Amino acid sequence: MNNVVRSSNHSPLLQRGEEQRSQETLLPAVDIIEESNALKLVADMPGVTNETLKIELDNNVLSLEGEIALNMPEGLSALHAEVRGQRFARRFNLSHEVDSDAITATLVNGVLTLTLPKKDSHRTRRIEVQAA
Amino acid sequence: MFDDLKRFETGSPRQFDWFSQLLDGFFPDGNAMDIRAVPQGSFPMINVARSDDAVRVYVFAAGLAHSDLTIDIQDNVLTLRGKRDSVTSGNEDGSSRPVFRRERASGEFVRAIALPDGLDAERAEARHAHGVFEIVLPKREELKPRRIDVQAA
Repeated sequence: MNNVVRSSNHSPLLQRGEEQRSQETLLPAVDIIEESNALKLVADMPGVTNETLKIELDNNVLSLEGEIALNMPEGLSALHAEVRGQRFARRFNLSHEVDSDAITATLVNGVLTLTLPKKDSHRTRRIEVQAA
Repeated sequence: MFDDLKRFETGSPRQFDWFSQLLDGFFPDGNAMDIRAVPQGSFPMINVARSDDAVRVYVFAAGLAHSDLTIDIQDNVLTLRGKRDSVTSGNEDGSSRPVFRRERASGEFVRAIALPDGLDAERAEARHAHGVFEIVLPKREELKPRRIDVQAA
């Protein structure tokens, strides 16, 4: 039976479908929190490693891309799949408040944490009231 | 590999569904802002795959360390329990900060999935890497595929 399935993969119609499927991307879920001097962006990207993660900043557009790198043995067939894609990708427009040179990122257990520091001129400042 | 399931969805019945084809034409899938692509409802997401000698369960639980997930098997039901803390939005002085997006699930979760028959729970193993748990459940010896040699007469 496996041979039947395998040979049907060679039909041009299915091959086209496969190409589309290989490009299937998932949107990572994110939290965005404002802190006093930075924005914090937390994204769920399970299965993405340091090597397969790509963070780019171009013209105030921040793009996150990560390939799910699982070492799965050959010859697996899916019984049930909720994650139907090989990669995560998402883009964000950054405001001018963000100091793009000072962005830092960490990836722990498949959670990407980006710290987007605000420019000095945009930080919250508390103004002390002077005693008269 | 799990994309294989997609094949069944995009099979021949859809070819006659001109309306959904029309909609797909206007709103093509795979768009970065496709709201359906946001994982919703269930955390963690689970994929199950089968090979000749084992059933493998992949649990996509970003943010959980290896000790944060409890895996139980009873009567062919696999139960996953755990807790994920939300990102603290509190300040040092206790005042909360604005949250612009909160899409990530947090809190306690329990998920249970039924497994196929004939698995050997005693020899089950679990591994964890980069927020993905892999649970390997070997098939019982007597259920593995076996080649039968034809004897010369």
